[in-house]
Amino acid sequence: MSNEPISGAPVTRSRKADLVVLVVLASLSIAYLFDAYRASPNIMNLVLIVPVTIIVFVLCAVQFVVTLRKSTNDIPEREPVRPVLPVMILFAVYVLSLPWLGFDLGTALFVGVFLYVHGERRWIWVLGYSVSFSSCVTLFFSYMLPYPMPLRVFG
Amino acid sequence: MVDADAAKAGLDLLFSSATPWLIVVPGILIGLVFGAIPGLQISMAMAIFLPVSLYMDFMQAMLFLTAIFTGGGFGGSIPAILMNIPGTSSSIATAFDGYPMARAGRHNLALGVALGASCFGVLIGYSLLFLLIGPISEMVLRIGPAEMSAIILWGITLIGTLSGNSLAKGVISGLVGILIGTIGYSEAGVARGTMGSAYLLDGVPAIPAMIGMFAASELFKLVNSKYLVEDVSARRVSVTEVWSGFRMSVKRPVIVVRGSLIGVFVGAIPGVGSSIANLLSYMITKRRDAKPATFGTGNPDGVIASECANSTSEAGSMATLLALGIPGGGATAVMLAAFAMHNITGGPQFIREQSDVVYAIVFANFGQAALLIVLGLAFIPLLANVVKVPMQYLIPSVLAMAVFGAFGLTGNMSGPITVMVFSILGWLFKRYDYSVPAAVVGILLGSMAEDSLIYSYQISGGQLGYILERPVTMLILALLIVGVFSGKLVERLKKRAAGEPASQ
Repeated sequence: MSNEPISGAPVTRSRKADLVVLVVLASLSIAYLFDAYRASPNIMNLVLIVPVTIIVFVLCAVQFVVTLRKSTNDIPEREPVRPVLPVMILFAVYVLSLPWLGFDLGTALFVGVFLYVHGERRWIWVLGYSVSFSSCVTLFFSYMLPYPMPLRVFG
Repeated sequence: MVDADAAKAGLDLLFSSATPWLIVVPGILIGLVFGAIPGLQISMAMAIFLPVSLYMDFMQAMLFLTAIFTGGGFGGSIPAILMNIPGTSSSIATAFDGYPMARAGRHNLALGVALGASCFGVLIGYSLLFLLIGPISEMVLRIGPAEMSAIILWGITLIGTLSGNSLAKGVISGLVGILIGTIGYSEAGVARGTMGSAYLLDGVPAIPAMIGMFAASELFKLVNSKYLVEDVSARRVSVTEVWSGFRMSVKRPVIVVRGSLIGVFVGAIPGVGSSIANLLSYMITKRRDAKPATFGTGNPDGVIASECANSTSEAGSMATLLALGIPGGGATAVMLAAFAMHNITGGPQFIREQSDVVYAIVFANFGQAALLIVLGLAFIPLLANVVKVPMQYLIPSVLAMAVFGAFGLTGNMSGPITVMVFSILGWLFKRYDYSVPAAVVGILLGSMAEDSLIYSYQISGGQLGYILERPVTMLILALLIVGVFSGKLVERLKKRAAGEPASQ
């Protein structure tokens, strides 16, 4: 395994992703600093944010250089994003639809769709589990919590 | 230091009738259940059951609430081990080794180790409280905002150095977490980073963010796995193994005692204590171990170090509550409300005038620790069956529970949305080797760090020399620097001694 600096080596996809994450973190920190400064330049408002942002920026810059100089072999190959992406999207749709679908119906649909997409083909299991799980959890939480939950069936 | 007459009166108070003990068992069970369900909190359990304590006398109410506290302290480690979801911020370090143990099919052992360390932690913690309640409260009074800022910074850098391969990425994670933790209204009365959302005016909901970063992001990673434990033969539930894990914690007296000392003293610091104590104990144990590289991959010593510090921090926070009347966190704040409901004010006067009650609370916790062993051993095999549930059922169920729990914490959709956003962020952090625990501790303590820094600034008039007048702050900052650089230095020295080139 080569540990030589690879200034002339091709920028691999993994390395590019590493660099993009660093740039995004540094940029978001700087953007937050500007937002805080715009809100108020008072020292009380910036006493922590300024030094922390500066350190984040410096560390990101250092790590950027370290990543660029790393040998291609030292950059780990990461698992593909494709299997994870549908789950993330399904989860996001579930959460964002809760105010309209309600926790009861939304949860039953989320669990049911998840089971079906991940290979469960026994309809009795898909329906039975999603409905019973959703009902139990909804009833438990709606009973325990002191404030109303958005509900469609049990509402 | 120990008033023998008051101690005897405390024993009489506890054992003159069996009535006070009747509510201990349900208390521990409530704590276990609330601790074990992701999204539910010990403080939530105590708040829900607080009105019940109105119908009890003060002693019974204290026994009931401390029983929930004790049960919940261990209960929080169950999801940390089985699902990588720390039930509370004080169980973060438990997940570091507990979860890899579970994935390797050693879930029974991990749960047994956690139970043993928790029970011994409670015993040692309350023994220390019994002996040292005076000095502990005096120590807490010496902690000012400058020390608090230094402790928070220490905690975050500690954890940043602990996980992952890159020190820089660990520290970046912690600091980005701090910045996220300061979103919303500042002490100066202006809103920052809210992007116009009214939900963010109070800041990012920290516990839902923690659930998202730890749990949901981990579940995304497991989407291609069939079971939590891939090996069929390792999926069994064994009480014998749980028991052997329990005994293993007895065989690590140094780790247990060290963790307990850290737990009781650091745990006594209001607000930050319990979050930092488990990390500090874990880090010291890792550094002192002959094979530090095994930590984070399923070393039971890591679970012991974290759990005993976490359960003794309960005694530490009780010391602050009893001696000073200051609640250290959500759970002790509910306890303070119980004090008020019974017209009792914690503080030096309470310790002086009602020392029999203080001793009774201490002794009651010894009994609770013993009961926790029995109830924990009965409860664990039931919960360990989680490893037998196929991932296609477990993933949507835990994600949905996290969403319900987050709604329960915030009372509106900001909780579930926070879980969703931070689950993606957590997944990205894990994917690119940034430290999720450091970011989470940063989010949890960010606004507190800012407040402490502002108070320090106001007290010092902006003079940096003020820090030089605070020996405790100097000591903590020195420990921080040693903590950051000693590991790398020792590693380099070892490699040099072995004749290998030092790594970057």
